[in-house]
Amino acid sequence: MTLSLTLPAIIAILFAGGLLAWLAERYLDRGSRPIALVSLLLATALLGQYWGHVSGDISAAAGTPWWDSLQLAWIPRFGISFYLAVDGLGFLMLALTLLMGLFGLVVTWKDINFRRGFFYFNYLWTLAGVVGVFTAMDLFLFFFFWEVMLIPMLLLIAVWGYEKRTYAAIKFFIFTQASSLLMLMAIVALVYLHYNNSGQLTFNYRELLSAQLSPAVAYWLMLGFFFAFAVKLPALPLHTWLPDAHTQAPTAGSILLAAILLKTGAYGLLRFTLPLFPEASVAFAPVAMTIGAISVIYGAVLAFAQRDMKRLVAYSSVSHMGFVLLGLYALNTIAIQGAVMQMIAHGLSTAALFALVGALQHRLHTRDMSQLGGLWASLPKLSAVALFFAVASLGLPGLGNFIAEFLVLLGSFGSSRWITVVATVGLVGAALYALLMMQRVFFGEQRRQTTTEGEVLIDLNPRETVALLSLAVALVFLGLRPQLVFDVADPTIAESMVRLEAAGLSLESEESDKKLQTAASSGWPDADHKRGESP
Amino acid sequence: MSARELHAILPLLVLSAGIVVLLLQVSFRRSHLAAAATTLITLVASIYACFQVAAALPPGGGSVAVTGLLLVDHTALFFCLLLLLAAIAVAVLGFNYLKLRCNPQSTTDNYPEEFYILLLLVMLGATTLVFANHFASFFLALELMSLALYPMLGFSVSGDLSPKGEQSNSLEASIKYLLLSALSTALGLFGIALIYGASGALDFGGIAAAVAQLPQGPSLMLAGLALLLIAVAFKLSLVPFHIWTPDVYQGAPTPVTALIATVGKGAVVALLLRFFAHTDLFSIPALTSLLAIAALASMLVGNLLALMQNNIKRLLAYSSIAHIGYLIVAFLIGSSAFGSEAVIYYLVAYVITTLGAFAVVGLIADSALRPAPGGTGPISDAASDTLKDPVHDPFQREFYRGLLWRSPWLACCLAAMLLSLAGIPLTIGFIGKFYIFAAGVQGQLWLLLAAVIIGSALGLFYYLRLLLTMVQRESEATATFGSGVQIAISGHLLLFSLTAALLLFGVFPQILINWINAL
Repeated sequence: MTLSLTLPAIIAILFAGGLLAWLAERYLDRGSRPIALVSLLLATALLGQYWGHVSGDISAAAGTPWWDSLQLAWIPRFGISFYLAVDGLGFLMLALTLLMGLFGLVVTWKDINFRRGFFYFNYLWTLAGVVGVFTAMDLFLFFFFWEVMLIPMLLLIAVWGYEKRTYAAIKFFIFTQASSLLMLMAIVALVYLHYNNSGQLTFNYRELLSAQLSPAVAYWLMLGFFFAFAVKLPALPLHTWLPDAHTQAPTAGSILLAAILLKTGAYGLLRFTLPLFPEASVAFAPVAMTIGAISVIYGAVLAFAQRDMKRLVAYSSVSHMGFVLLGLYALNTIAIQGAVMQMIAHGLSTAALFALVGALQHRLHTRDMSQLGGLWASLPKLSAVALFFAVASLGLPGLGNFIAEFLVLLGSFGSSRWITVVATVGLVGAALYALLMMQRVFFGEQRRQTTTEGEVLIDLNPRETVALLSLAVALVFLGLRPQLVFDVADPTIAESMVRLEAAGLSLESEESDKKLQTAASSGWPDADHKRGESP
Repeated sequence: MSARELHAILPLLVLSAGIVVLLLQVSFRRSHLAAAATTLITLVASIYACFQVAAALPPGGGSVAVTGLLLVDHTALFFCLLLLLAAIAVAVLGFNYLKLRCNPQSTTDNYPEEFYILLLLVMLGATTLVFANHFASFFLALELMSLALYPMLGFSVSGDLSPKGEQSNSLEASIKYLLLSALSTALGLFGIALIYGASGALDFGGIAAAVAQLPQGPSLMLAGLALLLIAVAFKLSLVPFHIWTPDVYQGAPTPVTALIATVGKGAVVALLLRFFAHTDLFSIPALTSLLAIAALASMLVGNLLALMQNNIKRLLAYSSIAHIGYLIVAFLIGSSAFGSEAVIYYLVAYVITTLGAFAVVGLIADSALRPAPGGTGPISDAASDTLKDPVHDPFQREFYRGLLWRSPWLACCLAAMLLSLAGIPLTIGFIGKFYIFAAGVQGQLWLLLAAVIIGSALGLFYYLRLLLTMVQRESEATATFGSGVQIAISGHLLLFSLTAALLLFGVFPQILINWINAL
């Protein structure tokens, strides 16, 4: 067996790039940005090696679901190994992480003037931690990276944030850390029970999949995992850190948070919670779907009520990630495909919106919508781009978000009609807040003109335009040819579905009233191949 | 005593010899540097002796009983090694501390050399405690340690360059510790008397036999053990016997604070582990629930009280209360091999991290006290008045504002220590916390684990607040106050080795786990 070093190389490049950027800035007083850019490009190029799997030229080796994996002993005392692996889902998440990292770097190229080297150190280390999270297949290693990504993110908010940055940073950290300690307890308990049953001490994800747990214990452990991921997602009522953290973070930090860090929660649910505890997840699904639907509505309502543009976008994230939760716990292929698509599309559209708010704040030094207005006249390019991403966010057909939300609703309708109906109202809410934001900021009379002190507002420069337009193109592509994403993610989801359906059937034999639900969901999977032809 | 027995206590003999040599040396020639050098040589020789003894011990967990009083085995030697290494760090810190405060020109009121004699005496007590297998040696060692600590806590008085406020705080700490320690010793002694009355034995083996036939329900033996446990809890500053901790930590010279927090507690934990394991006290529910309650209260109270502290030393004092609480969680399942492994690992993590934190704090405070260049006079009370200003008091949180930009290296060290205390990955503290969780899950101590989680979440708040203070952009006050913090080379070396150990054992814990499992 040959050692495949691609995955650790990606992580190592990001870690090393971060250190180099810091040192370069400290001793040469410049050079941190090119170093950050080069290391991100290198990492992306390394990831590009897996393109063959995407286009279907190379199929995974028989007997293993991974495209690539590496396993080294780390702490044999506890059966902990340094186990990295990538499959379709992991690849999508990695691609999102690195490309959004690049986007955030390029679009805020000139924003950071204070201690720039240390900024890019934190930026790259956050990305390295996230890459680790998306590739770690050892639960201990997963938790390790889960924590490693937090500290640099904390510093990004606390040092380069806006007015209430320290408060927001501490709140962000305590929420995520306290919940992840619950997860650590659940992980340790899971491993311990597995060890008692099978005599094999391991943190290996694939071996733990076969752990035999009593239903009550599994339910508690599942809750431990769910808590940690729900905080990250964020789901009501654990979302309160998010508006503060997003609002106070610098633009690049907001992009990282919204586009990438939130996805770690959804990824964790899909990768770990659902397959590890299928019976408990089926039992818990109605609760989780209700939470998801309420998050959708709640996020939309609160977004509608904001005056601060960044807070508006932050609350819209709560709403959009509610769809992800809803889709994941609908427990059928279509809805989960929709949730994965939503993770990607939301990453793109929200990152772009944060970048736009950041660009506005950079030019006008305010994000208060009551002080903005009529910007279309002075900033036509920026306004047009903003319009595009606002309608993407509200789910205009033809863009990625529409496919995602449509599939989630389609899939979850089979599982639970009333919850889906409630969540659908959220789409109306999305239209309301997105259009309201456009109307207040870009149309109407020019309230801002009196306070600009005669300076000319500079429209988007080529760098920003290219970065934003490439995201727009990606969203259109996702909207027109979503099949590619579905095909890549399908094996991972199918594997989870096998476990979940087995669990659903075993529950069904006990409770006859669940019959209808599983019958409906087993009728769906053929339909998803037609989605590729939607406009 | 046979030659083999004498060889087995070689580390103790080396320490004793070092004390005598140092006493003679000081009476002939007073030299701060020479005294420090002799101390370091003694400590290193003692560490070397530890390895010698370990190699000579019969393989496979063998042990050598030295008379009836001491029992030398691999675990005890490991603890001994850990404490001696901590003592080296304290000696380095003490050297830096005293160099600035003791005026080499004046010959009055100024005896830095005694610090090292006392330090070696504390170490003799601590190492004897680790080997103790009998209540006589236990009591003797505990008292030797305490008696040497009293003058050390008040040692600021000896430096004639120390500000007046510091001197009175130091005296206060010393007296407080003396009074409360005497009380706890009296309780412990009474407990020993009761145990003797109930079992007729003073050696741990005899007590084990008596415990095995302990009747159900209240008994003389149980009362004695509970009283003894109180005396130990006082030394470990477990809630509700923690009242002395913040004042003593704050008032004492920082190296001594580091000493009392690491060596003082580590030796007692080692003894407790041996005593409980040898006499199988884990099987008595009354004692374990007593410890569990104390641990629960320590985690919650320690972390809650730390929330409001602006003084770094008080903050670390309360956080150390909480950390001993975490350690007791692992201790409670100590009857199994895994329990003692968890305790030892957590103790190593605690000692490294606490030493590091106090080292950074102490070195920064020393550099802030540095008298004006060329000045030989005492740091005037006027100077100490300005120290009351929170921005200029080196122990206030405000003093650390923007430290990362002024002295990145020091700030990174302190940040690593704080993250380790908070239990964040890449640091040894995370592995320690992982052990606590693993131990708690094995023992099914769900209530205590819940307290660990709540305590850690509370702890995050104050560790982070300090961490974020360090990365705040410079305010005007600190920008004018001075550029970088200058510390001595020895201080840098110490910090480097502590931080390196913290990261090494945090990223590759298997190394340390192998050592512990080889015991």
